[in-house]
Amino acid sequence: MFETIPGIAISAAVLLLLVAFFRLRGDAPAESVSDGGYVPARAGLTTHGKPTGLTRWLTTVDHKDIGLLYILFGTGAALWGATDAMMIRTELIVPETAIWGLETYNAVFTTHGFTMLFFFVTPVFTGIANYVLPMLLGADDLAFPRVNAIAFWLLPPSLLLVRGGLITEVAGKVLAVLPVPVGALLALEPVGVGWTMYTPLSTATANQQIDVALLGLHLSGIATTMAALNFIVTIFTERADDIGWNKLDIFSWNILVMSGLVIFAFPLLGSALVLLLLDRNFGTTFFAVEGGGPILWQHLFWFFGHPEVYILVLPAFGLTSFMLPKLVGRRLFGFRFIVYSTIAIGVLSFGVWAHHMFTTGMDPRMRASFMAISLAIAIPSAIKEFNWIATMWNGRLRLTAPLLCILGIMSTFVIGGITGVFLAAVPVDFVLHDTHYVVGHFHLIVVGVIPLSMVAASYYWFPIITGRMFNRRLAKAQALLLAVGTVFTFVPLLILGYLGMPRRYGVYPAEFTTLNQAASLGAFVLALSVVLWLVNMVQSARVGPVVEDADVWNLKETGQFTREWQWFEEQLEDRQAELSRGTDGSATSD
Amino acid sequence: MNRISSAVAGGIAGTAVMTLMLLLLEVETRSAMDVFYVIALFVGTPEDPATGFALFVGAGIVAWPLLFIALEPYLPRGPDPAARGVVFAAVLWVPFVILGRGDIAGPLLIFYVAYTLFAHVAYGFTLGAVYGRLFDQLRQRGYR
Ligand code: HEM
Ligand SMILES: [Cu+2]
Repeated sequence: MFETIPGIAISAAVLLLLVAFFRLRGDAPAESVSDGGYVPARAGLTTHGKPTGLTRWLTTVDHKDIGLLYILFGTGAALWGATDAMMIRTELIVPETAIWGLETYNAVFTTHGFTMLFFFVTPVFTGIANYVLPMLLGADDLAFPRVNAIAFWLLPPSLLLVRGGLITEVAGKVLAVLPVPVGALLALEPVGVGWTMYTPLSTATANQQIDVALLGLHLSGIATTMAALNFIVTIFTERADDIGWNKLDIFSWNILVMSGLVIFAFPLLGSALVLLLLDRNFGTTFFAVEGGGPILWQHLFWFFGHPEVYILVLPAFGLTSFMLPKLVGRRLFGFRFIVYSTIAIGVLSFGVWAHHMFTTGMDPRMRASFMAISLAIAIPSAIKEFNWIATMWNGRLRLTAPLLCILGIMSTFVIGGITGVFLAAVPVDFVLHDTHYVVGHFHLIVVGVIPLSMVAASYYWFPIITGRMFNRRLAKAQALLLAVGTVFTFVPLLILGYLGMPRRYGVYPAEFTTLNQAASLGAFVLALSVVLWLVNMVQSARVGPVVEDADVWNLKETGQFTREWQWFEEQLEDRQAELSRGTDGSATSD
Repeated sequence: MNRISSAVAGGIAGTAVMTLMLLLLEVETRSAMDVFYVIALFVGTPEDPATGFALFVGAGIVAWPLLFIALEPYLPRGPDPAARGVVFAAVLWVPFVILGRGDIAGPLLIFYVAYTLFAHVAYGFTLGAVYGRLFDQLRQRGYR
């Protein structure tokens, strides 16, 4: 019966009925206001002496503004990449190709990897560091504010290049509604060769979009390197006089080491990408069998690729080590060892790349040495975990949202890290390589540690950035869902890997169905928690309660009221003075 | 700009956001969903997606915003018009998800349901937020 009446008519009828119902009831409440009549709060978003509106955001060289731009850009990319992830998990709900076919499945996990690694994690951490690093160091800004701005503005075009096939498809789709030919726009297919871009597949696939994507990745590498150089110079030269190396905070230490890894790893990726472009377009044979062979690509890629995973995770470790002591009212246990372990990870991470290549038929002696170093890298990782546990010992654990996030990090990192140790053992890796076990291993870290640390930071510093408070109850629920959802999504993948389900396939034998459905359910829980986070951030920034007292986390009583909070306190005092003088143009209250 | 133009401005912003999201869905799913057909089905012109889309945009810009300001004071989750816009759009979503479904089934249906809800929420939020902001500014300057 419904099918014959247009839905738009039904919607209109329902809504008109509602209008009529309420009008006739005749108890019209008071009119609404967008802000509940609160005072305007704009602590972090000071506007003095700056252009306003769009011009401000397009021309800014202020580290706080650029930090926010980075965070917004990274969040947008994350949502896009998360849509890919949801598509992957939706396709895998049933064993056969349910929806998209295998070509699209390949494209989706490729763009998922590119987007998350290069356009979500690194930009968001760069944004957080941009915002707080100068404050923690007692500097006015980064060493090179304009370089900072350029580094950011290179990212949007590189994202568009990497995902270009999709963008032209959008244009094609829009025009296809009208009766015009759009064949040319639909010709660029999304890339489907995997984020590792293994040759010979990546040299032999004809799709021109691969070339565009390689250029985009190269551009993003340039942007990342520029930002890293800026951080290094800033930390070396812009520290306040009373901050010696021994007093440098743990987050800055991690950003320093991360930046060091970037300037050694990313130029290598850039060179490898150029070689690949040459092979594809100019007849060189770097990765052809008669030249360096496919194995050369793997060596070059993983010499970048393994440090890259630590480039992703070190800032997360830094945030965890930075916030945890403040949230439990204790000093960071073994500060010096955490710094040493960070540096050790940084150095060692360049010596383990071939553990991604155990099954390629390398010399067994090489395999053994790479196994030894890979096992050794677990030690500094474990040091961090044990020091976090020791930091909580006898601490005052208030289960606030950021602390819940950190507890989630500590739990998932144990599983993610230990599964990595197993993989580092050559005989085990022979069995598990290229199964879902690997996917489970690294996702327990790249989902269970990295986004949780970002979310924790978003709550911890929310008052500084917006001048308002987030919704604490919603935040707690969200943090729990994120941690639990991670375990629910990725532990089934570990089991699937043990049972022998290979990764990167859109179809699988029917006996794997239940575990795959469990993983997909977990993914929907993750999606829900992302939505809750988004709602909380947007709504609290608009109408959350205005913060009056800068000591949101009771840091003064344990002597941890660090520089960024002192800055915030001054901002609040300024605001108070301004309000009492009545010079603020907008209405102060209703 | 008075109350009505503020609402229409909100409608324009909201429709832009929603259209962008539906396009992204279309592209992400490589047309498995065929969003324009879904819209045409919802509007009642399944053979003519272009007209269906035009009507959809018209409703999103004019009809729904006007209904929204008529209903707004009575909707729950006030006083923030953006939150009320979300409630409003969630009501709109129900017929959309039922009648636009066509023959989408299986896992794709889950994706379709979740994503269209998200798109509607974004529409309602943007509509309410833009309207609230423009209209409040007028009121604070003493216009009514
Ligand atoms: C605790 C120390 C760790 C060890 C011993 C370790 C070991 C390994 C090994 C041996 C592999 C290769 C498995 C295979 O393909 O057969 C691997 C893959 C991977 N690991 Fe780890 N890992 C550790 C920590 C981490 C961390 C901290 C991250 C991320 C931030 C990470 C991310 C990854 C990724 C992304 C892959 C898969 C790359 C791909 O093939 O696409 N690992 N790990
Ligand atoms: Cu590795």
